[in-house]
Amino acid sequence: MIDFAAIIAENILYLLLIIVGGLLVAIGVHFVPVGGAPAAMAQSTGVGTGTVQLAAGAGLTGLVAAGAVMQVTDNLLLVIASGMVGAMIMISSTMLLGNMIYIYGVGVPPASAKIKYDPITRDRQDLYISQGTEGHGVPTSCFISGVIGGGLGGLGGAMVYFALLSVTNGTSALNVIGLASIFSVAIFFINAVIASYNIGGTTEGFHDPKFKRLPKAVVSSIIVTFISGILSLITIGGL
Amino acid sequence: MAAGGTPKKAGSAIPPKKIMVFGILGSLIGIYAGHFLTIMFGPVFSFLGVLGAICAIVWGADTVRRVCSYGIGTGVPSIGMLAIGMGIVAALFGLEIGGIAGPVVALVIATIIGLIIGLLGNRIMKMGVPIMETATAEIAAAGTLTIVGVSTSMAGSFEIYNIVSHVVANGFIALVFIIGAIAILHPFNSNLGPDEKQDRTLAVAFVDGSIVMIVTGIVVAGVSIASAVPTLVIGLLIWIIAFTKYYSLVKRDAYKVVGTGLLPTEEELS
Repeated sequence: MIDFAAIIAENILYLLLIIVGGLLVAIGVHFVPVGGAPAAMAQSTGVGTGTVQLAAGAGLTGLVAAGAVMQVTDNLLLVIASGMVGAMIMISSTMLLGNMIYIYGVGVPPASAKIKYDPITRDRQDLYISQGTEGHGVPTSCFISGVIGGGLGGLGGAMVYFALLSVTNGTSALNVIGLASIFSVAIFFINAVIASYNIGGTTEGFHDPKFKRLPKAVVSSIIVTFISGILSLITIGGL
Repeated sequence: MAAGGTPKKAGSAIPPKKIMVFGILGSLIGIYAGHFLTIMFGPVFSFLGVLGAICAIVWGADTVRRVCSYGIGTGVPSIGMLAIGMGIVAALFGLEIGGIAGPVVALVIATIIGLIIGLLGNRIMKMGVPIMETATAEIAAAGTLTIVGVSTSMAGSFEIYNIVSHVVANGFIALVFIIGAIAILHPFNSNLGPDEKQDRTLAVAFVDGSIVMIVTGIVVAGVSIASAVPTLVIGLLIWIIAFTKYYSLVKRDAYKVVGTGLLPTEEELS
């Protein structure tokens, strides 16, 4: 029989790291400008796809980047930083290409209908909104918000991966790598969907009124990550 | 906002409880039969695991259909990803501590995790979807059984050391993750709308389940031909039956089905 208490006591630090990582993913999703289906038709601000797809694209790139760097170094900070940068690059290129399509393909200027002035550039927004839409494209503040969100998501994903990989266990390294990566992907997706439920599917970034709902996602994320963290910890530690 | 038109309770010709029983019993029988018959008679019978997974996929797709009809606002794919995310954690944990009762333990753990996430969604995040708690629990359970079923088929047994070395360590689990998620989310995602019908959606669930089976067959071909051939053949058979059924249902529900012919050539256009 597996001794649950001993495994948890031995790896309590990693459990904390997993919870913080999951929490960062949930917070990061709130920053990403997700437009959903309306944005795909350039009728609302943000990139035209769902939260989970955007977060997964950025977060999984972060995980891959972290995994690649982990092969050459075991320095925690370096691994986590590379995961963060990988996710930031991925989300930036997604938003940049999305913007190119909105500007040169659809022919709309990036603008947000939720605010009158862009909080970063102080540019007037409402003049550029097409009638009947809620904004279009990815304006500067949404872009910067997205980069922050991607960074937090990648940071969180890399932290979960590193923590699971470091759990004390009695099995081969290959098995642990497999388990740690699939568990971190699972924890990543659970937190991305929870955050997505909280914002109701679409957001513009930190200036969106929905951003004030963040505490609810924090509470939910801590509870769920705690449960899934313990389960994955015991699975890896008990082998 | 609503993914499937106006928020409403989905009408079901087949009651949800019946599909739930079909999903749980079908997949558990498939998983256990796949496990024991493979041990007793060799890898030819390993296809039974993924046959059980198809039952779980149909159950999951029906639940996705019921919960997404209320319009969860985040798009249908998110719930499929959530199902498999919870499923991975519950399945591997359940198989490890459960031993021979592994699939049942995984099912129970998944139901508890799903219930907690559903409660958080409705009570803390105020999603306001009436069946959120039970639906999330059902989806988590269906996702778990899908993963256990497909993994049992790939490894030939649901014993944790077998699963870890034959499904997880060689990376097959990433494939199980994505084909399982898509099989659960795709049926409703491709049929949603005001004229969505339960039998048509479930026909696509069978089509997706058979594709999961075919992919499993292709994957295990590199490990064991004896287990790959029956999986592939039965998967193809189910696909043909399910797709024919789906096409006839599309013809029933559509106003008219017409052939557009091939793209016109340049001379014909000018």
